[in-house]
Amino acid sequence: MGRRGKQLVLGALGVAVLLALIAIPYRDPMSGDAPIAREDTVIFDLDRSIKNPRNFNWLTPGVKRLHGAHQAMWEPLFVLNYANGELEPWLGLSIESNASHDVWTLVLRQGVEWSDGEAFDADDVEFTARMLMDSDAISAREAIRFKAQVDDVEKIDSHTIQFRLKQPNPGFHIENFGVLNFSSFLVMPEHIWRGQTVGSFDFFPPIGTGPYTFSSATSQRAIWDRDDNWWGARAGFLELPAPKRLVWIETGGQENRAQLLRSNQLDAGQHLALGIFEAIQARNPNVVSWHDGFPYSWTDPCPRQLEINATVEPWDNPAMRKAIAHIVDRQQIIDIVYEGSTVPSKTMFVQYGAMQPFIDAVVDAGYELPTRANLEAAHAIIEDNGYSMGDDGTYVKDGVPLTTRILANTASAETTGTVDLLVEQLQRAGIDARSVPVEDGVFWGEVIPLGDYEMSYSWLSCGSVNEPWASMVRYTNNSMAPIGERAPGYNNTGRWDTDATDRYTAVVNRIGQLSLGDPQIPGLVAEAYRELDAETPFIPLVQAAKVLSFNETHWTGWPRANDFYVHPMHWWNSTHLIIHQLEKADGGP
Amino acid sequence: MTATANTAMSKAEEREARRRAKRLKRFDSPWMNPKLLWGAGILIGILLFGFFGRLLWDPELVFIGSAPLNLPPLGFENLRGDGGSTAHPLGTQSSGRDILALLIVGAPNTLFIGVIASLIGMAIGIVLGFSAGFIGGRTDDVIRVIADVMITIPPLMVLIVFQTSIGEIGIVMMGVLLSGFMWQSPTRLIRAQVLSMRESGYVRMARLSGASTFDIMFKEMLPNLVPYLFGSFIAIATTAIVTAVGLETLGLGPQRVPTLGRVIYEAIDSAALLRNMWWWWGIPTALLATMFIGLLLVNLGLDEVANPKLRKV
Repeated sequence: MGRRGKQLVLGALGVAVLLALIAIPYRDPMSGDAPIAREDTVIFDLDRSIKNPRNFNWLTPGVKRLHGAHQAMWEPLFVLNYANGELEPWLGLSIESNASHDVWTLVLRQGVEWSDGEAFDADDVEFTARMLMDSDAISAREAIRFKAQVDDVEKIDSHTIQFRLKQPNPGFHIENFGVLNFSSFLVMPEHIWRGQTVGSFDFFPPIGTGPYTFSSATSQRAIWDRDDNWWGARAGFLELPAPKRLVWIETGGQENRAQLLRSNQLDAGQHLALGIFEAIQARNPNVVSWHDGFPYSWTDPCPRQLEINATVEPWDNPAMRKAIAHIVDRQQIIDIVYEGSTVPSKTMFVQYGAMQPFIDAVVDAGYELPTRANLEAAHAIIEDNGYSMGDDGTYVKDGVPLTTRILANTASAETTGTVDLLVEQLQRAGIDARSVPVEDGVFWGEVIPLGDYEMSYSWLSCGSVNEPWASMVRYTNNSMAPIGERAPGYNNTGRWDTDATDRYTAVVNRIGQLSLGDPQIPGLVAEAYRELDAETPFIPLVQAAKVLSFNETHWTGWPRANDFYVHPMHWWNSTHLIIHQLEKADGGP
Repeated sequence: MTATANTAMSKAEEREARRRAKRLKRFDSPWMNPKLLWGAGILIGILLFGFFGRLLWDPELVFIGSAPLNLPPLGFENLRGDGGSTAHPLGTQSSGRDILALLIVGAPNTLFIGVIASLIGMAIGIVLGFSAGFIGGRTDDVIRVIADVMITIPPLMVLIVFQTSIGEIGIVMMGVLLSGFMWQSPTRLIRAQVLSMRESGYVRMARLSGASTFDIMFKEMLPNLVPYLFGSFIAIATTAIVTAVGLETLGLGPQRVPTLGRVIYEAIDSAALLRNMWWWWGIPTALLATMFIGLLLVNLGLDEVANPKLRKV
């Protein structure tokens, strides 16, 4: 072969290698496996990024569950269904207490298996319970709550476990095992976790008992594929759900979420501003929400509120906190941020029907929150505390202006919008307020639990939906952590701890020992609320109206007001009920 | 009759010739070139819009909740079929802010950020450029290397990191922050000019007559660089405004004080495009474009002043 021939051969080889390199598709080691058609896939919205996609230890700080882990893979023991108020059995079959509500017996369903084929039984529950009780490294609210309540756990037989509580609690089963809100006690596989250090184990790859198994995850999306060998179908519990794949994607801002819904690239969306939802529906009628018409929204069980750090001057003074409460104009928040789609909070509680007796008790006692601001009262309090109005319209005391910083979690436009408006209301009243945007992971992972804020916008009295204790206990000083240490379960993050807190705590603890429906409870709620009204450790604002979008182009069967089989929060552990109801829009298998 | 007509004609020609000569004389000044005049006119117009706007319109309407939500401009309808209102002729946005008030207050603020950054950047650039060019030696080496290194750092990236870590900032602080990235170009430009002027006759003469270094630099040489300095000032003001608008459009920068970039950010964040609220993003974008055209024309005009070769015969 001549020189030219060799050159040709080498050139051809080079081109061949290049073509081969191009032809071999790059394979992300964490990407999903076999391609699954869009028609068989349900795409859910994730309003935040996945900080650590290779960590499924939900007990440790910063590890999330709402990217499918507790909607598709980890099943709950029970689900409190807001639609009918019943505690629906899932992995658990029954749970009953003794007469004094301090010993609870849980019976598990037979035939449940982990996705790796191991049996799910009382050993797993007992192991998880002991892990929560013994570890100091856990931070998840559900884990903290369980640890605070349970004194001992004992396996009775392979499917029966008994919990002995530190003090009587008639609501123990709902609070801990019923997905009261967001999540619940999640059972972990003993055969994987045994011998691991709770604080450092990353539980990757994860397994669960749910009908979907983990496929892949990045910081922007997580993929879960249907396990056709799911125990539930074999045991006759439920049929296999119709979707073959579930995907959670981080959508970013409202604009992006809206475009994805409009173009049928998203099936279940997080909250959108009312005007944006109307604009999408005008272009894509398959996008629906809870109601068919105004206000479209579902009332989230976590009313919005302004948290105040009671250890930071001048907000350590209850009178100054009261002044802030007078400045807040709830109706303006409703008109501007929610475009009229919600109502002002009358108390700290969500305004569901079951909560009405307790709300009425507070209102009758004279502690109902006003809808409009009372600036005169606010000015009087501030001036009584030594401040005078400066030339620039800001209060000053000893030459120091009255300022505050309100933290806003940037994950939600609803949050930033409300905080901007609160800043405006405070500014107009003479307080030099500023909004401080904080990234979601830092907000929930650092500043809120550590108490590193002056004021923040959140929903930390969230808890009660049919009784008052779950919300009220969050502001007791039962388990106070000093500033700089994590507030257990995000409770009382503002560190309200005065004589009034002691009185409040004593009454709330009494409520916790009474059975649901005890006639003494409304009166005790009003008695405890007297301390909240007097010291204002936080300021309830409005009921949270969520305009959640569901796209019926590919999937139908979403929960809606006219088909209310379960509550529609698709980032909660109760999403298992939704997934099993989904059907292909074209009626296919 | 003929003689009278001839006389009248010659007078008319004379007048015309005088007018032409006057016009030529007027445009003889390089400072009166049309680009510079048009550019300056646009920028002054924006400033006057801000100044008189505050007198004629209520600037308090820039704040949340000061107006009805989502109103279209006069003569248009929004998605719900609501018409515009004379009380808000350019419409309102979804937090109840008036678009006209946002433009009146926001446009001068946007220009102001550029001016602050440019003034500080120029001041630093003049001192460092003269020092490097005139003193030379180690001083020149150090300044040149720092300027060359700094010019390669993308300002937007650094400023994003900086702003997210310090939280909210005001207009002046924004200008000061930006100035940290605006001094390198004038430093290099002035240094190059000073190097070529250093050996000029008048500089040697000043040196021989015992003038101090400071006097030579800032009393003898600086006046000769005025057109360059103006050009440089406008160029870095443009860069500063582009960078500031970039930051604001990402949601950083001043939050309660309106700027054009902030208005556009809020429009994007609230899906104004999807909601057909073109007035929310379109009008401030058009005003920004006008501002940049004005700055470009001024820059081109000043180029002609500094560089006679660019002037049309």
